[in-house]
Amino acid sequence: MPEARPGALELSPNARDRLAELGVLSEKAEAGDKDARKELRRLLRSSSAEVIGRAADIGRKAGRTLARTAAGGDPLTEEALFAKLDAMRVEIAGEDPTPLEVLLTERVVSLWMLTALLETLVSSQYRKTTGERKRSTPSYLLQQSRILESANRRYLAAIRELARVRKLQATALPVQVNTQVNILR
Amino acid sequence: MTLETRNGNLYYYRSVRDGERVRKAYLGAGEIARIESEADILRRAGQEAQRERERAEMERLEALAAPLLELSEVAEVLARAHLVASGCHRHKGEYRRARGAARSA
Repeated sequence: MPEARPGALELSPNARDRLAELGVLSEKAEAGDKDARKELRRLLRSSSAEVIGRAADIGRKAGRTLARTAAGGDPLTEEALFAKLDAMRVEIAGEDPTPLEVLLTERVVSLWMLTALLETLVSSQYRKTTGERKRSTPSYLLQQSRILESANRRYLAAIRELARVRKLQATALPVQVNTQVNILR
Repeated sequence: MTLETRNGNLYYYRSVRDGERVRKAYLGAGEIARIESEADILRRAGQEAQRERERAEMERLEALAAPLLELSEVAEVLARAHLVASGCHRHKGEYRRARGAARSA
């Protein structure tokens, strides 16, 4: 279970508690605890809707913030990036996605935006410096490269996770989640 | 870096690491020493300002990335919970459908 870092996603304390509970129950269920699996199903039915909906929504906002940053104040680029993100969402989520697939799609799309933004930033550091702008220090370049590497790793992991969930969902018993997450089409 | 006064004259030295030892390297005396010293002060101020800019930029990047990293963690917990609840189990880091689990609902 990842350590909860308050603030970034702005999930409600209730949603955070539920996440922590889901993490603990998943571990127990994986270890063979049948009661834990039953409780996990019950908790997923009753609570994952809020968490999934909220996280997907915040992920979408984060993606737009990144697109705005990448556009650097140019409205045309900003709109083009928003359109690109929307098109990716539709393409990756596919027909009739489950709420979990919507969340995982949101993760893939926003991490793609982060990776693209970081790649642009890092590559711009290697261009020949002109005028007042000074060449960045090696430690700064190294830190940027580390963030890029981490984002890239997460991006690839997100794609793998979505594929895995799809593959296993297609064959496993479904867990009904009573929620609707609208994606822009 | 030091600007030293000896017998009323200015001498400018820079500390240079030579393996384990640090030794003073003579850079100049008189007006040259003063000019060198002031140029060094300006150069250091410039470097410090750049480091500060880079620090601020890194903080901004990390703030931009933070929600996505957390989103990743939330998505992982939820995906795992859904897979486990659906009857999957992990085998050597890979999730597999449990033997005997229904292929359709």
